[in-house]
Amino acid sequence: MHSLDIHTFAAIYIGSYEVSLNIYEISYKKRIKKIDNIRYHIELGKEAFSKKRLGYEAVEELCSKLSEFSKIIQGYKTDAYEIYASAVLREVTNATFVLNQIFLRTGFSIKVINNSEHRFISYKSVAGRAGFDRIIKGSAAVVDIGGSGTQVTLFRDGELVTTQHIGLGTMKIRTLLDNRGNTYSSYCKQVEEYIVKKLETFTSLYECEVENIVIMGDYAPEVIRKVDKNNREDKVVKTEKFVKYISKIQKKTVEEISKELNLANESDPFVLPAILLFKNLALSVKSKEVYVPGVNINDGIAYNYAEKNKLVKDTHDFDKDILSTAKELSKRYNSYSPHIDALCKLSVKIFDTMKKNHGLGKRERLLLQVAAILHDCGKYISLANSPQCAYYIVMSSEIMGLSHLERKIVALAILYNTYQLNEFEYLSQKLDHDAYLVVAKLSAILRVANALDQSHKQKFSNIKISIKGRELIIKLESFEDISLEQTLFDDKTEYFENVFSLKPILKEKRVYLE
Amino acid sequence: MEKIDFENSKYYENRELSWIKFDRRVLDEARDKNIPLLERLKFLSITSSNLDEFYMVRVASLKDMVNADYRKKDIAGMNATEQLAAINEATRELTKCQYSTFTNSLVPLLKQNKINLINEYEKLSAEQIEFVDNYFMDNVYPVLTPMAVDASRPFPLIRNKTLNIAALLKSNKEKENTMFATVQVPGGLNRLVTIPNEDGDEKTFILLEQIIERNLDKLFSNYEILCAYPYRVMRNADFTIDEDEASDLLLEIQNKLKLRQWGEAIRLEVENKIDDRLLGILRRELKLDNEEIFKIPGPIDLTVLSKLFDLKGYDNLRYEKYIPQQVPQINQDKNIFANIRDGDILIHHPYQSFQPVVDFIRQAAADPKVLAIKQTLYRVSGNSPIIRYLAQAAENGKQVTVLVELKARFDEEHNIVWAKKLERSGCHVIYGLVGLKTHSKIALVVRREEEGIRRYVHLGTGNYNDSTAKVYTDCGIFTCKESIGEDATAVFNMLSGYSEPLSWNELVLAPYWLRDKFLYLIKREINNVKNGLEGRIIAKMNSLCDKEIIKTLYMASAAGVKIDLVVRGICCLKVGIPGVSENITVRSIVGNFLEHSRIFYFFNGGEEDIFLGSADWMPRNLDRRVEIVFPVIDSKLKERVKHILDIELEDNVKARVLTFEGQYLKINRRGKKPINSQMIFCKEAKELVKKDSLSVGRVFIPTE
Repeated sequence: MHSLDIHTFAAIYIGSYEVSLNIYEISYKKRIKKIDNIRYHIELGKEAFSKKRLGYEAVEELCSKLSEFSKIIQGYKTDAYEIYASAVLREVTNATFVLNQIFLRTGFSIKVINNSEHRFISYKSVAGRAGFDRIIKGSAAVVDIGGSGTQVTLFRDGELVTTQHIGLGTMKIRTLLDNRGNTYSSYCKQVEEYIVKKLETFTSLYECEVENIVIMGDYAPEVIRKVDKNNREDKVVKTEKFVKYISKIQKKTVEEISKELNLANESDPFVLPAILLFKNLALSVKSKEVYVPGVNINDGIAYNYAEKNKLVKDTHDFDKDILSTAKELSKRYNSYSPHIDALCKLSVKIFDTMKKNHGLGKRERLLLQVAAILHDCGKYISLANSPQCAYYIVMSSEIMGLSHLERKIVALAILYNTYQLNEFEYLSQKLDHDAYLVVAKLSAILRVANALDQSHKQKFSNIKISIKGRELIIKLESFEDISLEQTLFDDKTEYFENVFSLKPILKEKRVYLE
Repeated sequence: MEKIDFENSKYYENRELSWIKFDRRVLDEARDKNIPLLERLKFLSITSSNLDEFYMVRVASLKDMVNADYRKKDIAGMNATEQLAAINEATRELTKCQYSTFTNSLVPLLKQNKINLINEYEKLSAEQIEFVDNYFMDNVYPVLTPMAVDASRPFPLIRNKTLNIAALLKSNKEKENTMFATVQVPGGLNRLVTIPNEDGDEKTFILLEQIIERNLDKLFSNYEILCAYPYRVMRNADFTIDEDEASDLLLEIQNKLKLRQWGEAIRLEVENKIDDRLLGILRRELKLDNEEIFKIPGPIDLTVLSKLFDLKGYDNLRYEKYIPQQVPQINQDKNIFANIRDGDILIHHPYQSFQPVVDFIRQAAADPKVLAIKQTLYRVSGNSPIIRYLAQAAENGKQVTVLVELKARFDEEHNIVWAKKLERSGCHVIYGLVGLKTHSKIALVVRREEEGIRRYVHLGTGNYNDSTAKVYTDCGIFTCKESIGEDATAVFNMLSGYSEPLSWNELVLAPYWLRDKFLYLIKREINNVKNGLEGRIIAKMNSLCDKEIIKTLYMASAAGVKIDLVVRGICCLKVGIPGVSENITVRSIVGNFLEHSRIFYFFNGGEEDIFLGSADWMPRNLDRRVEIVFPVIDSKLKERVKHILDIELEDNVKARVLTFEGQYLKINRRGKKPINSQMIFCKEAKELVKKDSLSVGRVFIPTE
């Protein structure tokens, strides 16, 4: 009866001070349409951040609300649902037990996402919208303000440059500075001073000036509605006007601000840190205009789901974001060069030829590219210890769109591009069996590709790769002497043979210029 | 020019006194010779039950204020004691008028029409006496509980609003002092008893208390009855539920119901000929002051007259019964949802039938595409089909959420019963909200269709009550507009305890947004006038007593906005005050149907805004209740709602216009054609159906 091309999806998000359930209809024609939005105020974060655990009462309340959500989900006869939780369940020590309790009582298995996953999904909620690519076309900063931190993502010429997590969250700021026995006015001052200091570090390290700032987070829609009475979704306001308004209301008491913004909570403790973050972020990136999309993380969960299940047409290329972040990172460590591009192409070529032999997918192909782009960045720190350094650089960088596991796979693939692969037992603490195999396969491919451009001079052209029997035949034309490559090739290919049971053979056709 | 203080209390009328004027207007209907006799009787009965409720709620609450030494003055600058004094005077005036109407006009007229109402057993014939005495022994005696008061038996509890007979007794054996005794007239028996009469054509009734009075000696053998008179006590019934403390609202209300009868006595009605000694005992035992005692020149509690209204035969003494008409926009061959998809539907009750609203729930309950039904219920009828279908829907596996307002005045006991019934059948029942009464009338059906979820919404000005919908004038709208559907979902999420939505599309809700919205709309008219445009407001409601709204209306009037108000009941606004309210007119329509719809019209420089809703312009509606006011969006429906207002403003039969002196006067027609708005709406509703049935050609349609 229900026509097949409409998919009903439920997204639940457990946040620092709210649990929310959104119901969506996903279809190719109408894309993603929100049909219900249910929010329940519950300050889990307060306890989670201060005591590092969730007590009985909080779990009880959470479970009872989630059971209600479960009924609502059934009521809509949804096809699927996903439940995400962030910082609240990430930062508590009893998370395992809480999750188990929730599962036993509600049947929900919750996916606890880490910061980068969280930011990426949040980012997807905006980037998945039609019109987003127009906003970032020039340059833009997308800031996502949460309870525990703020993510700043910079775009230049439509490409993602960098994304950084700054430990400035509304709830964190308040927990840090509250109850110090200060007067209210000095509390305001402290909050602002703290924010400004933290942001200074960021702006000194990155080229931050942008045309637009996209602000995601609670209270932002309320503020923008006040700044511009007729503000409809997808409209921008002048930063000047935005900042002026916040400067005006920040002098008021929390009660007055809450009333001014028409908040449900008459004295919302997070509103002051939030608006001060908005203002100072907008100031520090010197944007001309402010854009506040009325989205929340649930929209991102839905978009993520729709994308994963190919229920909608993509409007934004998220893989491109990942590659451009990797390139920016590579540039940052002075390692970006023609060699990198060549290596990248070569690795992909080998990867594509071997589809049947490695059994890996599109995602791993992307990871291979990232590994290729970043494999050399360690030299910036130490020539001798380059692989180790590259590993650490990758592990401490945020690449929007990569999960922590994927990031680890990339880092290890780079490490074993040079070093000998450790036994699984040695790595089992860090990786599961499948991921270990991915690391091995990617690093083996990377190593072969690398061997072909040992001199970093891109001596070859017209590379043809094919598989014959148990051999991987690499045919190439060359203008120059490739004896170096030839010599080192055998040395580097042994590992490849071990992994794939395929022997790489290099066949050269020397081209003499007339 | 001197600046006018629009808040000056002399510009406002006290709400209680204004209410008494309303009851007086109802009484005027009972005095109107152009109205059929039994209808007049009904109006008289209504004034009586109105007054009872007024006492139990309003007067009781004023007494509480006096007891609590609460000194704050009301909108008109009167404190509680002053108000009580004024009410007392006005009520006595009203009561006097009630009984003179009864005794001098209605009883003789009844007699003319061969209906005899005997109020004194002394007037019975011998044959009738025999019948009455037998009736007493067979039917009444077994259920009486006479109670005497002496040293070992304290004064019994006299239950609220019950009719009793007090008597003074003297023992036949001992030479004792007199003794007080009382007996309750059983509420379970019909108070009007038909007795035989000589002429077979006639009908004769006697009041039950007269039968008991006559036979009182049978209850107290060995005693001599010195005197016996009926009396009735009214007690404080307006309890405020302490919601902060009650962990379980339901339980709390059940407790309060038992307590209600124990409330303090605030009014005693006795027959005017009562013996002074007897009255003295009642006064002392019930702890009453003289001004709380009403001596009644006739039968106590005239609500009994409503029983006469249903008398078989005598159709000539009643209006012809009006049958609510079909709604031509609704094609009975299609289901209600298909009809709504064709366009918004406006229904004007009781001129048009309430059936589509019942059908809405009935069809939703059985429709396999329906996922959920959500509805607010305030007051429902005894055997409500809506409740039945909601229960059915739950049994059919739909998600049914019902918000049952337990705090609906005097309906608590009734509400708890059917709320439990709904719960048993699997509905999710929300028993009201802490601190707020849910007065909004909204029903939402969520349906899963080929194009996805579609929401059908019914919004109304009246309760989901199929019996009152035959008597109350109300408007309701069916729509499946997405903007309203989204809002409706948000309303129910909010009522279920979730956060409010970030913004509303169309609906305006009290307690958070409605007051500001109305003030904004009124001020917008002021601004338009200032900018040289026309300013115009027409508003129809049951009561107008919110100071801030009235003040803003005064400002609008002073600025030149033309304001016409149709206020059925209380109106604290005064008209015609120079510089304050010269541009405001107020009229009240009291007719055969109870005016109940709330309609708000704002000219808005030509881009007219019309709203319907559940809220009056009263503080309780704007601040302490969940109310919904919704815009009429469809232009055809807008025209129809405007037409309703236009006709009501033209009414010169049932409308009374408020004067500067504070009186409500009928309009001098001076030869103009009489316009009775309610009759016109009846006629129009019939014509709509006729026109519709004519336009459909009668042909056989071959199947293809």
